Amino acid sequence: MKVFTNERLNEQVLFKELDSGLKIYFMPKPGFVKKYAVFSTNYGSIDNVFVPIGEDKPVEVPEGIAHFLEHKLFEEEEANIFDKFSKLGASVNASTSFNQTSYLFNTTDHFYQCLEILIRFVQSPYLTDENVEKEKGIIAQEIKMYDDNPAWRVFFNCLRAMYINHPIRIDIAGTVDSINTITKEMLYKSYNTFYHPSNMVLFVVGDLSFEEIIETVKKSEKKYELKSIDIDRIFEEEPRRVNEKLIEDTMSVSTPLFYIGFKDYDLGLEGREAIKKDLITNIILDMLFTPSAKFYNDLYNDGLIDSNFGAYFSGKKTYGHSIIVGQSNVPEKIYERIEKLFAKNPREFLAKEDFERLKKNELGNFLMGFNSVESIANNFIDLYFDKFNILDYLDVLESIELDDLLDRFKKHFNSENMVLSVVRPN
Amino acid sequence: MEFSNERVKLGNGIYLNLIKTSKFKSNLLSYYFVRPLNKDEVTKNALIPLVLKRGTKDLNTSIEIEKKFEDMYGANYSSTINKRGERHVLRFSAEWANGKYLNDKELNYGVVELLRQIIYNPYIENNAFSKEYVEQEKENHRIRIESKINDKRSYAVNRCIEEMCKYEDFSLYSLGYVEDIDSINEINLYQQYKNILNTSQIEIFFVGDYDEGFKRFLIDNNRVEIENPVDIPREKIITRVEQKNMIEDCLDVNQGKIVIGYRTGVAFEDDLYNALLIASDILGGGPNSKLFRNVREKESLAYYISSSIIKYKSIMLIDAGIEFENYQKTINIINAQLDELKLGEFSEDDIEISKKSIITSLKSIRDSIFHISEFFFSQILAKDSRSLEQVMDDFESVNKEQIIEAAQKINIDTIYFMNGKK
Repeated sequence: MKVFTNERLNEQVLFKELDSGLKIYFMPKPGFVKKYAVFSTNYGSIDNVFVPIGEDKPVEVPEGIAHFLEHKLFEEEEANIFDKFSKLGASVNASTSFNQTSYLFNTTDHFYQCLEILIRFVQSPYLTDENVEKEKGIIAQEIKMYDDNPAWRVFFNCLRAMYINHPIRIDIAGTVDSINTITKEMLYKSYNTFYHPSNMVLFVVGDLSFEEIIETVKKSEKKYELKSIDIDRIFEEEPRRVNEKLIEDTMSVSTPLFYIGFKDYDLGLEGREAIKKDLITNIILDMLFTPSAKFYNDLYNDGLIDSNFGAYFSGKKTYGHSIIVGQSNVPEKIYERIEKLFAKNPREFLAKEDFERLKKNELGNFLMGFNSVESIANNFIDLYFDKFNILDYLDVLESIELDDLLDRFKKHFNSENMVLSVVRPN
Repeated sequence: MEFSNERVKLGNGIYLNLIKTSKFKSNLLSYYFVRPLNKDEVTKNALIPLVLKRGTKDLNTSIEIEKKFEDMYGANYSSTINKRGERHVLRFSAEWANGKYLNDKELNYGVVELLRQIIYNPYIENNAFSKEYVEQEKENHRIRIESKINDKRSYAVNRCIEEMCKYEDFSLYSLGYVEDIDSINEINLYQQYKNILNTSQIEIFFVGDYDEGFKRFLIDNNRVEIENPVDIPREKIITRVEQKNMIEDCLDVNQGKIVIGYRTGVAFEDDLYNALLIASDILGGGPNSKLFRNVREKESLAYYISSSIIKYKSIMLIDAGIEFENYQKTINIINAQLDELKLGEFSEDDIEISKKSIITSLKSIRDSIFHISEFFFSQILAKDSRSLEQVMDDFESVNKEQIIEAAQKINIDTIYFMNGKK
């Protein structure tokens, strides 16, 4: 067992790797009523070309299969998983992102029983032709719900404007057509490749005992022959240019929504370096596009934006992008103003004083994030798959200097890698 | 574990509620102003927080305010406006990191002072708000109201309530109306602001760690007398449905949305109210519910389907997203499931599951600084003096007969359907 401690945060994370290869992390939260467990696999919508375990040639699976599998793992031969959790007063859920699929529950009582059910149901898929067929109607409605969501549409159009080959372009849930081609066999193939314990992590947070957590997992987990497997994920090379400068669409909305994207070429990073790049980029964006920034206020006072305006950077090992979002009657004008701003010397608008203040802001917000067991767990998992321990976050934050921002700015923000996506009223 | 919860009367119509806990890494201070929900006020009330955030007497621009919050370790300021029954509630809050993790003893005082400046000491020109700020925020507010169409699920729910309650103030949209924006100016908006300060019941909540000195500070700085607090009558509850409505909107959408509004007539003060909440939960509360099992899992008709109770109006709502052509099929299943509920066709297990689910969410309130404050505020609004423990115990004691009795009071009033363009 290993213990990671951060004195300043007054928080600890305990760690143990089981013989099966499964890694368990636990953050004690004395005094909290709620207990939360997340069982995640490093497998998301972007992993759609891979060499299946036991085979030697890569396959391309239908768009949306990771998400489909997430739905189907709730199926069991006899009992209903939802029922089992409900009877214990717990609520269970799951989610699929570009990079991960997570199964989670929260409860106030009967935690260890719930944990047992969680491990067992994720490790024992029960797929039949019939239950796969049945799910298609449900997921089709989920897809259509997103099809009517303008923020989702303008976001994906922005990704499609930036990326040429990378599977981040495809919708996490797939399309109605793509999911209709999914079969039981394909689902098992994906499952067997990506749900090996060595590709997964369990994170638990709450007022609990680590020994009992470990014992519970040990008696619940399935036995695997191999201790670890190497997964061959295949990503077609992504060119260093954007796909389209502009994507326009229409929907039933009141005011045009826009996303401005900057495609990142500084890729392949993991751990501390990846998190540092992430933080640096987000601080730059905060210095320009939050209500405390001069540029934001200039646009606001000119009536070009409202308080829905904002920006963030999001990136992983194989992709990354800064995104500026808002609603406005004149998205092109905002695009131009940003283009003009970015042509200037960044020393003019990345000021030391703002930088120091935003670091303080980030520090406080990070601390407050430790109030919620859900937020702790989700952030932990997300950073874990980037090979980073959340308790080291403040050290990285404090190591950042203004020069880092200036360097990153020159590399990342220019008009060649800039795109615009707009959804207008129809 | 109970909270140590103290309620201090600061003056006529204003109370300070202190909830002491050291388990969070932050503190929360909220000011709730309770207004009647009516067409005359609603648009102005919703606009006022936007204007207040533009500047205070000392910090004349929002950029100065924002910088100050960031400098206080990213203290989060927020304001909301929403309707609770036929009350319109403005909330102004700040949540900030607990100074003990930052070696900053003055932080608490600084944040309280700034929050108070935003609420009580706005930027004023000639005894009115700034014309420039008001005009800009009117335009932003217009966009904000219009963009309610962007979220189709909540738009459908609001449309159902609007039609169902068209003769009740509860039908009012909590952000107000575009047609009422034009007549607003910096003078009449400032008058309404003064009116809010002078005639609203005010509830202040502090949740977090504090010492006697800080408590004294909160008491001394918030003392005021509300001379004539506006009287807000208890909402009327409609029990009988005179005429059933069927409303259809045709929009350019991919998914049809059904929202069904029911009158139950079971007041939240009534002993049967807990049974009604459980009945609604058995019907459409979670993944174990009748609607989820039948509409989603069995028939694959929907991804989401749920039912919920609107407390102050004793209304039940069911909403679902479906294929347009499955409208009638879905309605039939919903009707059949509701009929089963009324006939008592559900098990003791179903009751236990619903009770546990409700009790787990009640227990979880203790882990969220924000939910703690909301829970106590809602108890005050409902004039309900029970503790969280008592509320949970009362759910435990509900039996099957009571659930059936409550279910039998559920009467359909309005079906709203968002259809595609034909």
